[in-house]
Amino acid sequence: MVLLSVDGVECRYGSVKVLEDVSLSVKEGDFVGILGPNGSGKTTLLKSISRTLKPHRGTIMLDKADIYTLKGIDVAKKMAVVPQDGSVGFSFAALDVVLMGRNPHLSRFQMENEKDMAIARKAMTLTNTWYLAQRPINELSGGERQRVIIARALAQEPKILLLDEPITHLDIINQLELMDLVKGLCVREGLIVLAVFHDLNLAARYCTSAIMLKNGKIFSAGDIAEVLTSENIKSVFNVDAIVKKHLVTNSVFVIPLSPQKSPPSRKCSIHLICGAGTGTTLMKILLDEGYSVTAGVLNVLDTDFETAQFLKIPVTTEAPFSPITEKTHKANLAMISDASTVVLTSVPFGYGNLQNLEAALAALERGIPTFVIEEVPIEKRDFTRGKAKALLTELKSKGAEFVKDQNELLSMLNVSVEKLKIAKEERDRFLAHLKPEEIPKETKIRGKGEKS
Amino acid sequence: MSKNEVESTYSKRASRWKLIIFLLIIALIITVIVSLNVGYYGISFEDILKILGKQIPFLNSFVDYTPKLPGDPNVLLLVRLPRIIAGVLVGAALAASGVLFQGIFRNPMADPFVIGVSSGASVGAALATLFAAGFVFFGIGAVQIAAFVSALITIFFVYNISRVGSRVPVMTLLLSGLAVTFFSSAIVTLLQFISGKELFSIVAWLAGGFSNITWLAIWAITPFILIGIIAAYFYARDLNLLALGEDTAQNLGVDIERVKKILLFLGSMVTAAAVSVSGLIGFVGLIIPHMTRLVIGPDHRILLPTSTIIGAIFLVVCDDVARLMTGSIMGALQLPVGVITAISGAPFFVYLLRRKKTSYAL
Repeated sequence: MVLLSVDGVECRYGSVKVLEDVSLSVKEGDFVGILGPNGSGKTTLLKSISRTLKPHRGTIMLDKADIYTLKGIDVAKKMAVVPQDGSVGFSFAALDVVLMGRNPHLSRFQMENEKDMAIARKAMTLTNTWYLAQRPINELSGGERQRVIIARALAQEPKILLLDEPITHLDIINQLELMDLVKGLCVREGLIVLAVFHDLNLAARYCTSAIMLKNGKIFSAGDIAEVLTSENIKSVFNVDAIVKKHLVTNSVFVIPLSPQKSPPSRKCSIHLICGAGTGTTLMKILLDEGYSVTAGVLNVLDTDFETAQFLKIPVTTEAPFSPITEKTHKANLAMISDASTVVLTSVPFGYGNLQNLEAALAALERGIPTFVIEEVPIEKRDFTRGKAKALLTELKSKGAEFVKDQNELLSMLNVSVEKLKIAKEERDRFLAHLKPEEIPKETKIRGKGEKS
Repeated sequence: MSKNEVESTYSKRASRWKLIIFLLIIALIITVIVSLNVGYYGISFEDILKILGKQIPFLNSFVDYTPKLPGDPNVLLLVRLPRIIAGVLVGAALAASGVLFQGIFRNPMADPFVIGVSSGASVGAALATLFAAGFVFFGIGAVQIAAFVSALITIFFVYNISRVGSRVPVMTLLLSGLAVTFFSSAIVTLLQFISGKELFSIVAWLAGGFSNITWLAIWAITPFILIGIIAAYFYARDLNLLALGEDTAQNLGVDIERVKKILLFLGSMVTAAAVSVSGLIGFVGLIIPHMTRLVIGPDHRILLPTSTIIGAIFLVVCDDVARLMTGSIMGALQLPVGVITAISGAPFFVYLLRRKKTSYAL
């Protein structure tokens, strides 16, 4: 049973502490991710484990022996390292480089024999580099070279593999193939893997456990799912992220959101009538654009509800899977009356949320500019035998602004809501002078200057 | 390239390497014998072989030789042979330590003089020329001894300036070598300035050459050079691994600080010994390893021995040219062999660079 344990390690560069009181224990078959932002000490930790940077305090034990008292060559028989930078000083052939991985197993004057050759070939076949065997390593692409370097590490036949951002230079298929390869060795042969990851999703997919470093200290450690939470990501990386369990890979995945901008810069507030995920992207975009955003009525557990929770958007809510009650409808109307604009997304309508359409109508009647996004024709999302369609037609006739998609909406909003209001008033006054039958059926008579 | 082809190429590597080294040694012996024939004073090949044969115990009784001129054996054995052997040793030493320094620094632009061995030696040589020219210790001239000792002192300084705790970062080593080189060059310039009638001796030493070589001087440097090169060969595979970077080499089991220390010491010692008899002969230590690498590949297990032998052949041939020109063109004036090495080697090197179209990322 191979065991690696790091106990109370502290590293300094000069007087600057880069690692403080880091402890972890790893056993056969573990795949440990080392996570953290730039400068958090990930590479330093890997260097101290790989016997390159002796810690000022603490011990690193490999099978009950302190690695700094062991001979380098004995450690090299058990531990292989794949560095960030795999540049090679002279133009050795790729196979020469892989054969160098056999060094710990050879005595000083021993030439590589057929067994070493077979091991090197196997490693190169696994990493899909055997066809590069005789090419000079310096003439390979970054990804090819990285795969050769990984083959060299495998040729070392290690029990522990340390990877420092191992796949930065690789394209996606090579990333997956290599990580699958390493993971396979981990599962089948009990290889211990410690890997620095920048891509949290890759870490989530392959690691069994992880440590997350912040300013040289362990911020969180344990099962990958315990470590990768949106709270931890927020406090360590200062990034808002949605963390969910993926239905296909059955591992957690992380969707980072771009760093949130400062509090609403515009006075304008927008109320979203949405649901079933139709408002999710819009919420984020409108917030980024500096609007203050509210939403409702949304059922608890609805995707849009979760997004709103996450983005801290005020929402009028209804119990899960329940029709909107009169009480919540009124609460929603109260929220709408505080908004300067209402946006209705292409949400499907059933009897449960039909009242949201009435809310939009009410907004229009109170003189609040209302936009309707019609990405999906109402016929396809009306599950109320035409009632929703009728309400939507009414909205149209009462002057709601219909847009074909989000982008059109945004471009119109960016024209400035103030301008839009003025334009609307102008139009209303114009329409008032006409007799009812002369009102054009197509109410879209926006002035040219208004749109541009 | 199929699996079998690649593998059989590699499995035959050891025997191919042995063959290459064997052929190069034959080439070196031929070069030495041919070179004995080269010079203003003509001695036939037959006589050369006979004179040499006379020197070999047991075999000498079978050699029937009477000198055509009474001076022949002396010219050959006391003037020409030591000069050629010195060429072999110095060429081998410079090329071998060139390989070592290029390997340590992971840089094909490094040479044996890069960390200040040469400039250190020239300070000692210049000082001895001015103040102790006549002194001889156990038959060895003061200039040679002073050059050797001051070269080693200089390296000791450079090494300790560069040391950070127990580590010696190569970049610091390179820079402190540069600083020390500038400093010693200034001292040598100063010494030249005040040297008066000894100026020519100093300039001639700096230019490098093999005039006035004695057997004793050769015996004095031979152990340093031979032991140095052979000991360095023990670390040939470590040099290969160093090419992957120091951290990676360490992760593959190389005790890099120790290996660096040993190789720096061996390279400097070998260079100091060579320089002490020949003065400064540039170019050999830079170009021979480089050219050999272009032809034979970067593996130090073959690069080190082949460079060593090719360096020896190259310098002997260059000295032949110098000797010929001294006799026929320059009259009594000794043409510095350093001039020949550069003039003959550089164009060939450029040709190799162009032919291989190798680009060097430093």
